[in-house]
Amino acid sequence: MSVNYKHLWSNYNYIIVFIGIFIAFLFTNGSGTSWTSMTNILLHSAILGTIALGMGFIILTGDIDLSVGSSFVLVGGLTIIVYNQVDNIFAGLIIAILLGMVCGFINGVLVGWLLMPSFIVTLATMLIFRSISQYMMNERGETRYSVDGSLSSYSALFKLGNGELLTLPVIGIIFICIAVALTYISSSTKFGKRVYALGSNPRAAKLAGIDIHWTRIKVFLLSGALVGFAAFLKIAKDTSFDPATSGQNFELYAIAAVVIGGISMSGGRGKVASIVFGTMSFTMIDKIITAVGMNALLNDSVKGLILLAAVGLQMVKRQSRSG
Amino acid sequence: MELLKMDGITKAFYGVTVLDRVSLSVNRGEVHALLGENGAGKSTLMNILAGVHSKDNGLISFDGREITQHSIKSAEQHGIAFVHQELNIFNDLRVYENVFLGKELTGPLGRLRKKEMVDQTSALMGKLGVDIDPMEYAGSLDTGKKQLLEIAKVLQGEAKLFILDEPTTALNNEEIERLFFIIRRLKNAGKSFIFISHKMPEIFRIADRFTVLRNGKLVVSNDIKHTTPEEIARHMVGERYSSDVGYEERTAGVAIIEIQQLSGRRFHNVNLTVKKGEIIAFTGLEGAGCSELLQTIFGVLQPHSGRLLIYGRSLQPHSIRSAMKLRIAMVPASRKENSVIPDLNLLENTYLSEHAIHSRQKFIFKKRELQTYEELRKKLAIKAGSYRDMITSLSGGNQQKIILARSLRTNADLILFDNPTQGIDIGAKHEIYKLILELAKQGKTIIVNTLEMTEIQKIADRCAVFYRGTITAILNREDINEERVMLHATNAIVPEERSAAENERQL
Repeated sequence: MSVNYKHLWSNYNYIIVFIGIFIAFLFTNGSGTSWTSMTNILLHSAILGTIALGMGFIILTGDIDLSVGSSFVLVGGLTIIVYNQVDNIFAGLIIAILLGMVCGFINGVLVGWLLMPSFIVTLATMLIFRSISQYMMNERGETRYSVDGSLSSYSALFKLGNGELLTLPVIGIIFICIAVALTYISSSTKFGKRVYALGSNPRAAKLAGIDIHWTRIKVFLLSGALVGFAAFLKIAKDTSFDPATSGQNFELYAIAAVVIGGISMSGGRGKVASIVFGTMSFTMIDKIITAVGMNALLNDSVKGLILLAAVGLQMVKRQSRSG
Repeated sequence: MELLKMDGITKAFYGVTVLDRVSLSVNRGEVHALLGENGAGKSTLMNILAGVHSKDNGLISFDGREITQHSIKSAEQHGIAFVHQELNIFNDLRVYENVFLGKELTGPLGRLRKKEMVDQTSALMGKLGVDIDPMEYAGSLDTGKKQLLEIAKVLQGEAKLFILDEPTTALNNEEIERLFFIIRRLKNAGKSFIFISHKMPEIFRIADRFTVLRNGKLVVSNDIKHTTPEEIARHMVGERYSSDVGYEERTAGVAIIEIQQLSGRRFHNVNLTVKKGEIIAFTGLEGAGCSELLQTIFGVLQPHSGRLLIYGRSLQPHSIRSAMKLRIAMVPASRKENSVIPDLNLLENTYLSEHAIHSRQKFIFKKRELQTYEELRKKLAIKAGSYRDMITSLSGGNQQKIILARSLRTNADLILFDNPTQGIDIGAKHEIYKLILELAKQGKTIIVNTLEMTEIQKIADRCAVFYRGTITAILNREDINEERVMLHATNAIVPEERSAAENERQL
């Protein structure tokens, strides 16, 4: 029985971290706590969370993607340019996803086929993607990519990004749906098991007949598609992209959300569903800082400390388990 | 004179007793074999002696003094040295750096006295008769040399008692000889050894006394002169021991693999035909190319030249997946590196390969998977709790059976076993032999690469002996004996005999 408790404890400690931060959130908000302030957590987690889900798959295979913040901005800018021409929400979404997949494919081929280390590859593409985005902006003589307000589909797009369904933000619901689908893929499909096998022991996975090159590429494609999706959600929500600041540090926040969710950086271990909690924990920290009136510049300090605390907690548990 | 006395040692983990009043005594200048199946308690007992675990009860006295407060450090100070089964070698450091790691010789301002360390390492290697260059990177040594380096590291110190946990698993015969020579010399100088091994012949060659543990209890402790391998095996395994694994004559079918003048990594000009339903053993010294040939058949490695026909077809390029689609499966060597997926549970570890080749169906139907898993678990007599358990919680033998189940799930007709009983206890070994014979009886074809003679004699129909990448003899079952295999494996055959051997090969 005691073994089972330990099992539960180590597998679901991300929920404990989440509840702890949630209590702090309620406490600091005091009487200001409302249903809206809580659904706002979901709203403000949706975009980063969608990116973090893709990052989770990549980290489960034992790789990393530092380029997500930059590809987010590049895809967002290009999608706005195209969207302003075609004036169609669905076409915009498809284009965003396809462009994201192109970015993911570039990373995937370099990592999966050419066997370059993912840290270096995505560090390079991180620099490249953002630079291209800024260069294009500069060439156009503008400061930010904005959706044309005179488009016929503009109000529908804005409603998608800022509307509510049953008092819940629409993009929050979309995020949860994606998370549910990906949780299912990770735990109940052959592809999902291959991702875990690859991260756990690549050599054994290869000898068991798994095409590890193609699996790596697929994971980067998936992550790219999710970055594209997230870029589209951001367009719907804010109707603009600033190549200099949008998606800044997103790769690091996404990694942090994955780690707080309890996924092992060495791959093979962790749950995709936990990323939802990891991201929301991360978003709540923002809210708590605002609520207590702290200088916003200290924001990242607090996030960093929480990240250290969360990982420290997981380490302590792991050690007490093995000892 | 007694050096070590452990008396009434008891230890429980989470309420499960793993050692129950076990005693062990080792004399000065003695090689003491500690025997037992995996899980019998050998490792726990040795970990208590080396200060890794604490004992719940019992007494340890060493060198005439009782040891009470015990830790890894105090064990070292008392003069107890432990060579672990896993290698603790740093591949990116040079040999001398490995030897002096943590106890480097330094001059003023922490400057390393490199030349002295290199010279001392050189002298140590010379003294031990090991041909390893101190300046070489440890990563470039083969496994046997790494193991010798690991042992040399420990022998360099001033310990009185050396614990050697399966020290010969990666050594070839020549290296084993050298190790035994070193052990004998140190023994004559009054040092003592606790020697853990699953290989019976070497125990009888090196040990003076032995102790057998079974299920955490002491079974017998005696002079090695007063026993036989059979008797020890019976002590280790208990009532379920039977040395007969049930070999039966079978008739081989059509040729399914034809190897003609095939060359690849570490083997060249190999000719061999494998017939359906056969059990062929590959053997040779470490590095003779047997494992590489198996890996080439399975598509892990590509052949350089020659022809490899599988069911009459030549595959270009050959890959693991194309091999699996032709119903070939492999149980790889070095289970921990090449087979076990530590973060997946038992069920997931078994269905992985089958899913890899049938990837058109994307979803997993758990009920059906569980049913197949249960059938295989019963058939292979895998001792495991829930299918959700992690594979790493099983003993070596049961882990290997899970890997075998993974191969069987792919419906393979040809199963390649690369050193399948490495680090597995006698009981599980026999079960795996029986399974292999059973599979052959069902018409499956088996190739086993093994270094163990008893294994070959128990199961093989034919035995291909390799020497430096070529087959020097293919022996039929009635001709397989240790002496003949060793002659061919070391190529120590006088010319007339070799032409006789050539004739044998033609037939």
